Amino acid sequence: MKKPTLADVTRRHFFSQCGVGLGQAALAGLLSGGSLFGREAAPENPMAPKQPHFPAKAKNIIFLFMAGGPSQLEMFDYKPELARRDGENTPPSFLEGKRFAFMDSFSKETPKLLGPRRTFTQYGKSGKWISDTLPHLGGVVDDLAFVSGIATENFNHAPAKIMVNTGSPRFGRPSIGAWVTYGIGSESENLPGFVVLQSGPRGPRGGALNWGAGFLPTAYQGVPFQSGGDPILNLSNPEGFDHDRQGRTLETLRALNLRRLAETGDPEISTRIASYEMAYRMQSSAPELIDLGGEDPKTLALYGAEPGAKSYANNCLLARRLVERGVRFVQLYHTDWDHHGGPHNLGKPFTDRCREIDQPTAALIRDLKERGMLEDTLVVFGGEFGRTPMGEERESVGRNHHIDAYTMWFAGAGVRPGQTVGRTDDFGFAPVDTEIDIHDIQATILHLLGLDHTRLTFKFQGRNFRLTDVGGKLIEPMLS
Amino acid sequence: MRSARLLLAVFAFAATAAAADASTAAGEALFDAQIQPLLAARCASCHGAKLPTSGLSLGSREALLEGGNRGPSIVAGKPAESLLIQAVRQDGDLKMPPGGKLSADEIAALEKWVELGAPWSAKAVSQSSPEASHWSFQPIRRPEPPAPVWPDKVRNAIDRFVQARLAKDKLTPSPEADRATLIRRVSLDLTGLLPTPEDVLAFEQDAAPDAYAKMVERYLASPHYGERWGRHWLDIAHYADSNGYNLDGEREVWRYRDWVIRALNDDKPFDEFVIEQIAGDLLPHPTQDQLIATGFHRNTLINLEGGIDFEQYRVEAVVDRVDTIGQAFLGLTLGCARCHDHKYDPISQKEFYQFYAFYNSIDELDGEDGEAGRQDPFKPLLEFGTPEELAKRDVIRVQLEVLEKEVSDYETELAKSQAEWETGLSKEWIAKLGDEDQFALAVPAEKRNPFQKATIARMHRKDDLGWNERQASIAAVRKRLPDLESTMVMRELPEPRESYIHLGGDFLRHGVTVQPDTLKLLPAMDVEGSHRPTRLDLAKWLMSGSNPLTARVSVNRVWQRYFGLGLVETENDFGTQGSAPSHPELLDWLASEFRDKGWSQKDLHRLILTSHTYRQASLHRDDSTEIDPRNRLLSRQNRLRLEAEAVRDAALSASGLLTAEIGGPSVHPPQPDGASKLGQMQRDWVADTDKERFRRGMYTYFWRSSPHPGLMVFDAPDSTNACTRRPRSNTPLQALTLLNDTAYYEFAQGLAKRVLTEGPAAGPQRLDYAFRLCVARPPDATEREELAGFLAEQLDAFQTKPEAARPIADTPELAAWTAVGRVLLNLDEFITRE
Repeated sequence: MKKPTLADVTRRHFFSQCGVGLGQAALAGLLSGGSLFGREAAPENPMAPKQPHFPAKAKNIIFLFMAGGPSQLEMFDYKPELARRDGENTPPSFLEGKRFAFMDSFSKETPKLLGPRRTFTQYGKSGKWISDTLPHLGGVVDDLAFVSGIATENFNHAPAKIMVNTGSPRFGRPSIGAWVTYGIGSESENLPGFVVLQSGPRGPRGGALNWGAGFLPTAYQGVPFQSGGDPILNLSNPEGFDHDRQGRTLETLRALNLRRLAETGDPEISTRIASYEMAYRMQSSAPELIDLGGEDPKTLALYGAEPGAKSYANNCLLARRLVERGVRFVQLYHTDWDHHGGPHNLGKPFTDRCREIDQPTAALIRDLKERGMLEDTLVVFGGEFGRTPMGEERESVGRNHHIDAYTMWFAGAGVRPGQTVGRTDDFGFAPVDTEIDIHDIQATILHLLGLDHTRLTFKFQGRNFRLTDVGGKLIEPMLS
Repeated sequence: MRSARLLLAVFAFAATAAAADASTAAGEALFDAQIQPLLAARCASCHGAKLPTSGLSLGSREALLEGGNRGPSIVAGKPAESLLIQAVRQDGDLKMPPGGKLSADEIAALEKWVELGAPWSAKAVSQSSPEASHWSFQPIRRPEPPAPVWPDKVRNAIDRFVQARLAKDKLTPSPEADRATLIRRVSLDLTGLLPTPEDVLAFEQDAAPDAYAKMVERYLASPHYGERWGRHWLDIAHYADSNGYNLDGEREVWRYRDWVIRALNDDKPFDEFVIEQIAGDLLPHPTQDQLIATGFHRNTLINLEGGIDFEQYRVEAVVDRVDTIGQAFLGLTLGCARCHDHKYDPISQKEFYQFYAFYNSIDELDGEDGEAGRQDPFKPLLEFGTPEELAKRDVIRVQLEVLEKEVSDYETELAKSQAEWETGLSKEWIAKLGDEDQFALAVPAEKRNPFQKATIARMHRKDDLGWNERQASIAAVRKRLPDLESTMVMRELPEPRESYIHLGGDFLRHGVTVQPDTLKLLPAMDVEGSHRPTRLDLAKWLMSGSNPLTARVSVNRVWQRYFGLGLVETENDFGTQGSAPSHPELLDWLASEFRDKGWSQKDLHRLILTSHTYRQASLHRDDSTEIDPRNRLLSRQNRLRLEAEAVRDAALSASGLLTAEIGGPSVHPPQPDGASKLGQMQRDWVADTDKERFRRGMYTYFWRSSPHPGLMVFDAPDSTNACTRRPRSNTPLQALTLLNDTAYYEFAQGLAKRVLTEGPAAGPQRLDYAFRLCVARPPDATEREELAGFLAEQLDAFQTKPEAARPIADTPELAAWTAVGRVLLNLDEFITRE
């Protein structure tokens, strides 16, 4: 039989004794709302849902991060003129007086233009040109809104990834998922508000910094899940500790941690309490989440997912399941897009990457749409930078990093689909007419989630920091 | 005639100069006080002295007068006509700075300054750029400690500096923490292990006035001190047991790790400690230990993937060494200058490659070794064996050298027949090749790039019988080499490699040749005689009394370990983009103490540990939280979550399972299934079942591509680059680790056994004992009641259903105590240094 309310004793004790640290009201809230598992989360739960700055259609976001710098010129940015001028010297006007990071790996000879290595076909009502490596995406093209000619700042992978994810190439800033959950919390009480799924031969460069909390409270950092086997290491209790015993262990632990919180006033302890409660709830919810066995075989086939496998396809299906369960921010990483030439060239390695993502990504869009979830879910697809219109001198064909004009796409809630915002010149060197940078992408994502990027701030080292630093303007034509 | 004109000119100049004296002086004062800091903060990032945007440098008065692409930037004395003023007023098409308009005051100051003739102050003129007058580049001063504000809370000079700053913000220091907290704090900080209950009691009961000092001395003398502080140092060295990159094979360099531990335990003076690690091999008649020490710079990654250019990865390793030096000693982001001049600090790209040149002549795997380099990828090595074994090794090496020379001659000959070989290739043979090889062959010979040329040469050799025979005989001889234990060390090539600027950071694009040298902005390196400067000169320069950075950066990092944040929060960036010190005078005072009194690290620890500032309670206070939420002013101690290894070590020491041996090859404690399958290389991790299972966290075998998750979940660094500060995250995954991981479960079982065998017979004292084992203090009434209730309930449950206890322990009692142990090891307080 369960022992009567030790927690109550503890509670009384706090109110009579604690006079330091947390304000009385905050502590009272924590204690009164802090009923244990299965009941309502404590009000101070850092992940509790919060009102956005303004009403928005998108409640959740799935960010499909293609790590390594996918070639926009072989996927989305159709350049017939570049094809015609394949092998010609790059016009000097593109090289002079500009900061071209990618010049580094060229010898002193003028670099040669490299025509697209793939054929393109027009798809959908919008007539968007899509490469032959992405037929499935072609099939959902009218649900997508492309942004072309995006500029970023860094031409090395890790800082460039960190830039897209944190708004700064310097390490230590909060990631966009952390900002979003800091801003509006998460609907899920049983899963982390910000989940990271990975596929490909290795993790993305920059590693956990890509989903870190930076100077925000650590509770907002992304939690990586494994798509095969145990979703999370150490998810099961030691033998002999069943669910109830684990629960009692955690209740005792919580009471003791609360006691310490009252004594020290250190808010880090309340984060730890929340971490343990989340851990406990994850122990039941994560295995259920990860088990794709209950999915309709048709759905599995749509994605190309196989229960138990580790793949981007499984991760796409998991992303839908996570969003279904109220997880606010799901970020997928698919790595190995760095096609310089050599072993990582624009031949088979590139085709393989495209094949891995094409069907599952399109399936995710279709599936979300069929379930009505695309109405309140935002999907974003893109990498850290694009690739150069000229080829690289390696033993086989590839392109170098290009930071001046690459492509991403948005789909779903709040997005006006079937269009391309922004345009690049005939070779794909630079944007024409529009100036869109990473901070604009971030500002727009936040906006679609009901957050004003200039108001979502956190004071650190005497300054109000924000995801978009001092930049960021909305990409208005994107918004529905 | 000519001299007369010159004379006249001089007179004319003198006359105007005299008239302008007053305004110049005012202008210079204004420049020092406002203009220079403003230029450095808001303009220098784009308009620094080197590679300035639009050709405009704000690095000197001359540069401003000359201007950039838009012409002169200032007209002295005429603000209205000065482009600079128009730009900052933002009333024309040029609007500066781009990050946001200057304040009205700042604009007014600039106008005033231009009106006064825009003089550069004498102080700044002597510097190479405005950034050079940055505080950290100035000599270390020896400030007088301020008068005590709260004399009863002053134990040494540190407190006087801290108090003076607190008083400024009307804050007060906290009282001293209680004895149990203090001994646990000191024990964890110095050894990473928990104090034993006996030590806690003895300290609590020691009424002697020097009880605290004696306690500190005991832990400073502990051999585990070297482990704890050694691990901090290994973060910087980025020590690991594997090579990194995709293949991530094993390597042997643990003797370096053990050297660090020994050196710290011996309190080897910090200057010797550093010099031996950077250049032990260049000391006269180096000892074996001094050679082992040079493993410091061998903790760089090695890529052994097929078909790569080893030179590219050697270059990366050299760059990493420069970056490590920058972070560890200079607090400068030297790496930024790899591809271009530093945007913020006065460090040119050339200077980066001068630094690079110090490390560019190590006799390590390089491009010239080619594929043969795979036979000896870890060179240079220091090998350990009997004299006979070493002699045998030397003989075989000579044989190998001869054979390798033969092969290389043969290859030269063979190359001449390549064209002929190519024409003879059949379509079928070519069709069996990989994409890369086929592609290379398809390119006409005169159009092949170096990669393709190398690819084809490789194919040709593999297809040649004579070449293969020769390779086989080399392999046979090599097999006879004795299998010796070794450690990776540094050794110079007989002839240095040429060092040159890598244009845009690309080693294939040669810029001008450079010689080893240090940074202009710091005092010059002292090189005896006229030899080419070596790593030894570099090391001595780092540790020389006139270097203003090494001592500051080093004491700051030690301070950071004790308070969570350094006096300079950006512990690896003391440049103009770094944060300003919270207590600049204290920083200088500590730096001068450390440097001028023999570089004793233990003395530095002693100094900090015995201050009142360190000994304060860590309880949050409403008053200071309001004014100083991040406790930068140190009105209390900070509660710090333990580092990854210390979390494990604390649990090991509480459980009584700890194998306290120091050093030796790395070990394999249990880890969750599947954890080492996350990297590209699928590896089996076979957990040790003997005493090695319970070694301290720092001895866990560290695979760079799939490190032990128990370490990573608590923010251990990935050992790719130097790490000078670990984050302290707080996540559900940590909770799952401490609750469910096999290792921690075993610790809970161990703790239960220990309590039942070593603790008091029964009753509440037993619970108190268990509690004290973990957090040093006894539980208060509430905590005792909570735990006693849980224990009673668990005991009852296990006694009622003994089969439920069986998977956990032999008896229901032990099972119930294991349950209690799990609670204790999961307490926030347990993994926190209070």
